[in-house]
Amino acid sequence: MRQIGSTPVTAPGWTAKPKDGIAIVDCDVHHNFRHPTQLLPYLSKFYQEHLLDQGLHLGGYPNIPIRSNRVDLKGRVEDAVETTPKNSGGDPRDFNFTLAFLQEEHLNVWNIDVALLTGPPPFYGYSGLPDPDWAAALCRAFNDWTIEHWLERDARVVNAILISPSDPPQAVAEINRLADRKDTVAVMVPMGTSRPFGNRFYHPIWAACEEHGLPVVSHIGGGGGATRNTPTPVGHPTYYMESRMSRPYFASSHATSLICEGVFEKFPNLKFALIEAQQMWAVPVMWHLDTDWKALRDQTPWLKRLPSEYFREHIRIGSQPMHEPEKPEQMYQMLEMLHADETLIFCSDFPHFDWNDPVTVFPKLPEDLHQRIFAQNALDILRLDLEEANGSPKP
Amino acid sequence: MARVVVGKVSEIPPGGRKIVVPFRGKAGIGVFNVGGTFYAVRNICPHKRGPLCTGELTGRFAADAPPSLQGTMLSVDGLGEILRCPWHQWTFDIATGQCLVDETLRVATYPVQIEGDDVVVEYDG
Repeated sequence: MRQIGSTPVTAPGWTAKPKDGIAIVDCDVHHNFRHPTQLLPYLSKFYQEHLLDQGLHLGGYPNIPIRSNRVDLKGRVEDAVETTPKNSGGDPRDFNFTLAFLQEEHLNVWNIDVALLTGPPPFYGYSGLPDPDWAAALCRAFNDWTIEHWLERDARVVNAILISPSDPPQAVAEINRLADRKDTVAVMVPMGTSRPFGNRFYHPIWAACEEHGLPVVSHIGGGGGATRNTPTPVGHPTYYMESRMSRPYFASSHATSLICEGVFEKFPNLKFALIEAQQMWAVPVMWHLDTDWKALRDQTPWLKRLPSEYFREHIRIGSQPMHEPEKPEQMYQMLEMLHADETLIFCSDFPHFDWNDPVTVFPKLPEDLHQRIFAQNALDILRLDLEEANGSPKP
Repeated sequence: MARVVVGKVSEIPPGGRKIVVPFRGKAGIGVFNVGGTFYAVRNICPHKRGPLCTGELTGRFAADAPPSLQGTMLSVDGLGEILRCPWHQWTFDIATGQCLVDETLRVATYPVQIEGDDVVVEYDG
């Protein structure tokens, strides 16, 4: 819909900083380019021509609102070409994404100690591209663009490198290429796949992650190309909010696959975070999988422990978008059922409209639980030091 | 009753707004000109404390029945009368402060008087 009225303005002086001294590790901070042509310098000649001649072919949600970013943020760009398709990977109607934008609009406002860059969800469509070489080339280019424009200038900013799961050898090569960088602290794969993550097809990727001590962070999204299944097991939903309700299917399918295929027996040091896919799904997965394991374990005798034990040790859940229960006390009950002190990691989803700020997302929590959710659970899997994070420069 | 001159009428054309900071706190208020009538709305969303008045203007979307029924009327009216919070997209009626998606929520509004070229906002206190 055409925007009615004035250009949105930002409110001067409006911030709500959380208390100093409480570390915040934000495991879902989206960075983006304004236009896919910004990737050209990081593509080979062949793929430069491929981008210009063929386009990105990323697909995307056919029904997502045009304003997927918060309109209160500064740095809004209105002058760009309006003809670029929304889901081409960049959205010129939105922000001039830069490190300075991230610092001013997010890190400094909320006293974020560690920000994990997760890339732009419209770009996650690479995981569903039918051409695995193009997908791998896009990941390499995006990682190199990120290194040049976002990293090494702010100790708070760390990176989840993008890899394409559709061709494990190229994914492993990309992990090996970037794993030794200090700011490479995780490996990002979109949840939109053609087979669940426990499948042995992916094991070389998980082996490389474990070898380098990198957790996998999997964000909802991806696909749209020929290799992706429908967003629900029953077909294509009509409206965007229906698609959002299918997120737990993605997360729970990957989590149960990882557990049942014995991935955590094979890779005992692997950690796997599933983010922006709701939270409560994890409770019936843990409870019901334990029940079913007791009845059906002869099919998977390599599982030596209760499925919920693998879950609590190896799988982490992003806190955004957080449920808003009917009764306030249900939030505490939910966190207890989730074993949130072990499993939950704070994610803001900056700068999207459905983000969660670190102040109002939870009611007052016991200090230890607060510290686990907002910092320690993430620091543990990212293998970062709390002292180091707290000592990082603040504005 | 306190009265504050928050600006000139010419500053806020129809469809426009002015964020006035501070106003009873650092979040301020948004003063809106909706088709020639002025309104003042507190700039804190009662949902999650987002900067409500920096959001986009929209209207009331309505349908008299699901579209799978023949002859369903789909409509949008009151364009420019509804404010959509930039955080989480909850909508509010600028004139009344009533939240359109949660009947229990209302954002504070303040009476606005036009005196000559002055826009005057009134509040208790």
